[in-house]
Amino acid sequence: MLWGVYAVNFLLALMGALPVALYLGRVLNRSLAAERLYKAFDLSLFVELITQPDVSLSALLPGSFLLASLFLVAMVFLSGGVLEAYRCDRRLGAGEFFQACGAFFWRFVRLLVFLLAVLVPIGLLFNLAQQWSGRLSADAPWEMLGFWVGVGGTIVVLFLLLAVRLWFDMAQVCAVAESEHKMRRALVRAFRLTFGNFAQLFWIYLRILLVAAVGLAMALWLWVRFVRPEWVAVSFLLGQAVVAQWLATRLWLRASETLWYQHHSAAPPPEPSTASAPNLAA
Amino acid sequence: MTCQPKEANRLRHPGWKILGAALVLIEGMIAAAQGATNVAGRAGTSPLSRRVVAYQIEARLDVNKKSIDATEILTYLNLAGRPLDQFPFHLYLNAFQPKSTFMREVRRDDPGFEWEEKHFGSIEVKSFEVAGMGDLTRQIKFVQPDDANPDDRTVFQVRLPKPVRSGARVQFKIAFHAKLPEVFARTGYKRDFFMVAQWFPKVGVWWHGAWNCHQFHDSTEFFADFGTYDVKLTVPQNYVLGSSGEELASVNNPDGTKTLTLHAEDVHDFAWTANPNFRVVEDTWTGSAGKVKIRLLMAPGHLTQAPRYLRALKSTLARFDRRYGPYPYDRITVVDPPHGALRAGGMEYPTLITADTTWWMPEGLHMPELVVVHEFGHQYWYGIVATNEFEEAWLDEGINSYTEAKMMDSPYGPARFAINLWGLTLSDADSRTLSYRSLPDTDPLARKAYQYMSGAYGGITYGKTATVLLTLEGIIGEETLRRALQTYFTRYCFTHPTGEDFLKTIEGVSGQNLRWFFDQAVYGTQVLDYAVESVNSDRADWFEEKAEKKGETLYRSSVLVRRKGDFIFPVEVEVKFDNGEKVREKWDGRDRWIRLAYEKKARIVSAEVDPEHKVWLDTNLFNNSQTRERHSAATRKLANYWLFLTQFFAQLLAWLA
Repeated sequence: MLWGVYAVNFLLALMGALPVALYLGRVLNRSLAAERLYKAFDLSLFVELITQPDVSLSALLPGSFLLASLFLVAMVFLSGGVLEAYRCDRRLGAGEFFQACGAFFWRFVRLLVFLLAVLVPIGLLFNLAQQWSGRLSADAPWEMLGFWVGVGGTIVVLFLLLAVRLWFDMAQVCAVAESEHKMRRALVRAFRLTFGNFAQLFWIYLRILLVAAVGLAMALWLWVRFVRPEWVAVSFLLGQAVVAQWLATRLWLRASETLWYQHHSAAPPPEPSTASAPNLAA
Repeated sequence: MTCQPKEANRLRHPGWKILGAALVLIEGMIAAAQGATNVAGRAGTSPLSRRVVAYQIEARLDVNKKSIDATEILTYLNLAGRPLDQFPFHLYLNAFQPKSTFMREVRRDDPGFEWEEKHFGSIEVKSFEVAGMGDLTRQIKFVQPDDANPDDRTVFQVRLPKPVRSGARVQFKIAFHAKLPEVFARTGYKRDFFMVAQWFPKVGVWWHGAWNCHQFHDSTEFFADFGTYDVKLTVPQNYVLGSSGEELASVNNPDGTKTLTLHAEDVHDFAWTANPNFRVVEDTWTGSAGKVKIRLLMAPGHLTQAPRYLRALKSTLARFDRRYGPYPYDRITVVDPPHGALRAGGMEYPTLITADTTWWMPEGLHMPELVVVHEFGHQYWYGIVATNEFEEAWLDEGINSYTEAKMMDSPYGPARFAINLWGLTLSDADSRTLSYRSLPDTDPLARKAYQYMSGAYGGITYGKTATVLLTLEGIIGEETLRRALQTYFTRYCFTHPTGEDFLKTIEGVSGQNLRWFFDQAVYGTQVLDYAVESVNSDRADWFEEKAEKKGETLYRSSVLVRRKGDFIFPVEVEVKFDNGEKVREKWDGRDRWIRLAYEKKARIVSAEVDPEHKVWLDTNLFNNSQTRERHSAATRKLANYWLFLTQFFAQLLAWLA
């Protein structure tokens, strides 16, 4: 499953990177100046490059953003199959998998809409915290006060985001496990389950995320410390490892929550689907 | 007064004291013959400049009202060579009002700028008396010599009932009240920090046969005569004070204030700062002219960065001393503005500079060092060589940007790192050139600062001038340009030279006629861009079916080089062949293109215009070269970064799913 998700992520991003390579190549491929970007990373030359009329990176940004958004849609689609596989605790055949994906897609789209609505006040809170932090940084007698308020605000917002993610992940698990069609009901049930066992669930999520954060920090350290600027292949592999790790983290979170639900929830799980199809290779 | 080159003498050498004293004596005799009082330098010192002005100011800072009440006695020596009956004065603080020319220009160039009451600043002349002529307060008339904006009150003039004879002195007694704005353009307050600059009525400069006293504009700085300042400042006792002057005395008053007596000579401005929270760090440096007392006034949160400031300052003092001439003053103060007051940072005043940092500045980001190097450089280009910042801003900002790039070269690494962090590099010289390339063709250097196109001031005065001088290195040699700057400094120190003075000095020292270059680079807006349009190598026997044999097959190769810009500049072209041979051609660059042709048993590998990268003015480095074969390593690298960033962003977005 991980490699399938990774493949979708890679292919979509590649579709965004290829036009960039084309535009950059027009300027760089026959210029000796390119060496200053290859053997090092000369910021001034990079800025000059992106202001070249032939390059126009700003024109390419919307395309890459669109492709990233397509990945979001893909993940909404694939989530149903992923959760069904975790619920059944076995490898699903391709038919079963995509049947589950399709069955839950629109329900998860509705959940996404609810999620965006819940994120609005959190976004406003973050904005307020940043504004307050900025004012304190300029006006408070102690310079660090603004910084710490900013840090504190960010931690609070991250905590809220994680709590909301926990809640909505549980809603998806409930929807799949109980074959629930009404997402509001799933949300209410998930709310009770999540915030009735918040400490336990939060700790599960937090430690998985900490592992991911440590992995990212280590990769960054390796990249800065050991990878030479001209080692493009090594840089590529390291980057892909980071992406794969974070995709795996997301799947790990879902698996953990499904498992927790199965151990702690009172509602019996419905019978798994019995459609026969070739096994979907992970 | 002419300054000797540093090899021959130093400004504070005893011989100069004798000569200086003799000049003062002669000047005094002339003044005495004309019935004026003798205003010589302090006992035991000889003037370094023609002291046209002598300011005596007594001022009291009200830290609650953010205002200053003061009286100023200005003794002006008429060296115009003719009688003067009209005197203009700057009132710079009046720029901080919504209808002023300064604010109009701020709003014109930034329509999002919103006026707030805290931006308000003003300076009001309460009374204006002239010794022997009475109270002329009612004769004060605001004038607007630059844009006729009737609401601008940054310049006033007074006509005297009796003219001041040539060589005579006139004494003005001015009482004024200044209201400081919350700092957003160099001067003002933030909480209990005060940076007080351009705070007193300042007489204009008689220059080239007329008064030179411009309104204060968004993109201009200042211009004033050399002289002496005797200032008494009364501030709360717990305030730490720094200024352009030397502290002679400090007396505690019964009302909880203290009065400091300060003196500065051979300077053309007097700024000061006060803050109860400053942490003082002191050090000394000894140069060819003697010991210099260094005083850092640090914001408490930035104290750990004091060593960075000190290192940068000392190395710059030493380099300027060696390269251009001795620093003639015995002190330098560095003010570190606290958080929220960074708009007071990055500024220069005689013997006092304001720096710029934050608590989180990593070592590889050399911003604090860059600011100190730049602002100290202004002690030379502006402070001592006091050019007209209204009309020829390029002479101080531009020359200083060039010398700053040379200073940053030395201590921070061979690639001239302004940034050296996590594999990212940026040299100071490159950053200046980048700012020039963003707007290479809008304005000539020689344009008045307030007449530049909106947003062009920085790119032209700082970036283009530095780039012009870096290119000039390639024409006359780096060492020759250094000697030219040294000559310019020693010849014009404590005077007001013009751009032509500077350019003629360069021509004189280099022994070359550089008008062809200056006409385009300084007085014109031509853009320089030479490009290798194409390279190819074709078999001479292309019509025969034969196998190619390396080293035996004859090839006809050609390189097409184009002049895409309108700046004409002689360039070199280096052509490399696959047998290791390199050919270097010279082209005068006049025509629009040139074809270089070769017949060799080798094929072209690459062709490059300006292979030694001496022509900094070239606006496009990527078209300066072409290889016969494609090399996509850099493209792959950047595309890889783009790929990773898109992937990571996509997976981050997918957390919504």
